[in-house]
Amino acid sequence: MFSVARTRLGTAGAKVASGRALSLSTFTSQKMAKQTRPIINNSDETTYAALEARLNVQFKDRGLMKQVCTHKSFDQGLESSNERLEWLGKRVLNLYVGEYLVAKYPNLPMESLQDVQHANFGMGSLAEAGKHFGMLPAMRWSSSAGPTQTVGATKVLGKAVQALVGAVYMDQGAAAAKEFVKRHLLTKPVDIEAVVQLKNPKTMLVELTKRKGLEYPIARLMKETGRFTSSPVFIVGVFCGTRMVGMGFGSSLKMAEYRAAKDALLKHYAKEIKDVQLVDADDSDLTFFKDSEATASASASAFAA
Amino acid sequence: MASFRLPNVLNSVIHAHNDQLLRAKKPKNGVGAFIFPCRKLVFNYCERSGSSKSMMEYLQRQAMNFAEENPQIEVVVQPRPSKHPVIRAFYTNGHQKTKCVRKCSADEIPEVVKSLRDHSGHKLRKWNRYVISDTPSVRGIYSPFHVKEIHDISDQKSK
Repeated sequence: MFSVARTRLGTAGAKVASGRALSLSTFTSQKMAKQTRPIINNSDETTYAALEARLNVQFKDRGLMKQVCTHKSFDQGLESSNERLEWLGKRVLNLYVGEYLVAKYPNLPMESLQDVQHANFGMGSLAEAGKHFGMLPAMRWSSSAGPTQTVGATKVLGKAVQALVGAVYMDQGAAAAKEFVKRHLLTKPVDIEAVVQLKNPKTMLVELTKRKGLEYPIARLMKETGRFTSSPVFIVGVFCGTRMVGMGFGSSLKMAEYRAAKDALLKHYAKEIKDVQLVDADDSDLTFFKDSEATASASASAFAA
Repeated sequence: MASFRLPNVLNSVIHAHNDQLLRAKKPKNGVGAFIFPCRKLVFNYCERSGSSKSMMEYLQRQAMNFAEENPQIEVVVQPRPSKHPVIRAFYTNGHQKTKCVRKCSADEIPEVVKSLRDHSGHKLRKWNRYVISDTPSVRGIYSPFHVKEIHDISDQKSK
């Protein structure tokens, strides 16, 4: 029969082939919690084992996943939190995301790279990824608004995902961290056009063509229909000499010219390299963390032996 | 890059609009890595009641195997006295599914567990389209019957 006391069945992990903690636990009879309010701080050892399996990582340090999910607001900071892991993970993540963006968009200027990174790999996106992993119920934190509130969950989750990247880096090495970032965070489509700020595209295009040594851009009407109706369509192309650099449509000539200039600029700046090949992070020689012993929780003061 | 400053009021409006455009999009499961949707299964049973009989059998014989085979699911067994046996499934998208297995036979319970495990977590909904695409075309979905030259395989057959 099942014992009444709270036990984790299968702590004799010999049965389990993969060596993971068995994700089965028994609780004392509790009042069935009504699922109307958000469940906060109701996670258990098995939650973290399951989370590791879901993400296909296996930390050498058994308590690491729990630490990754512990925000400093939990239990007044008595438990070791994910602060340091988050700090490290933020830098690791920004490195690999930066590599990816620089390789994928060779002509994108720095401000736009910043904007793309902020929009697609900032706190909001990381929080969405965290929710997707199922990390929100596993988080140990307390909101500033009160113990049962979820205000501030986005930032906490985003930090937890950064901490997760940091934990993978520390525990498994640079190559594993890069693979993790690539598989989980770099796979969604990046929307460039929404991010790249193109105020005054016509002026910008003139400057660009001057810089590149092309002829002065001239707009030419290529196709039109319904000029004297309520819904005309004009298709305008911008030409540098005989070469067309951009094409745009509009319900007025001015609008079409604007769009054509914008198209030309996007073709240049937002040029995307499909199937970008990232150089594989080679070895644990890259990091300062010794690979041999299971690098203990981040609260340990020395990493090396 | 050339730029000019707009009055502050307009700037904030544009900023708010941009923020809306840039709102974080949900990741697509399976494109990079696949995150298993079912994250937790809770088995509630009553030790005394007759309706929980097969549930108890399942828990004694097959539950551990199931948990071992599915390490990504947190399996929780929780006595719930004087109530019918119930299996609750929690999914990564925040939804839950509950199935009462009172008086189910010993063969039916593993099937219920399997169906709960394999569910995506999304509510049932009616899709009014044949194809759902991120890059829809103005010209519609390809149809092999509405092309200039219908592909004829009879030539290939005679070869």
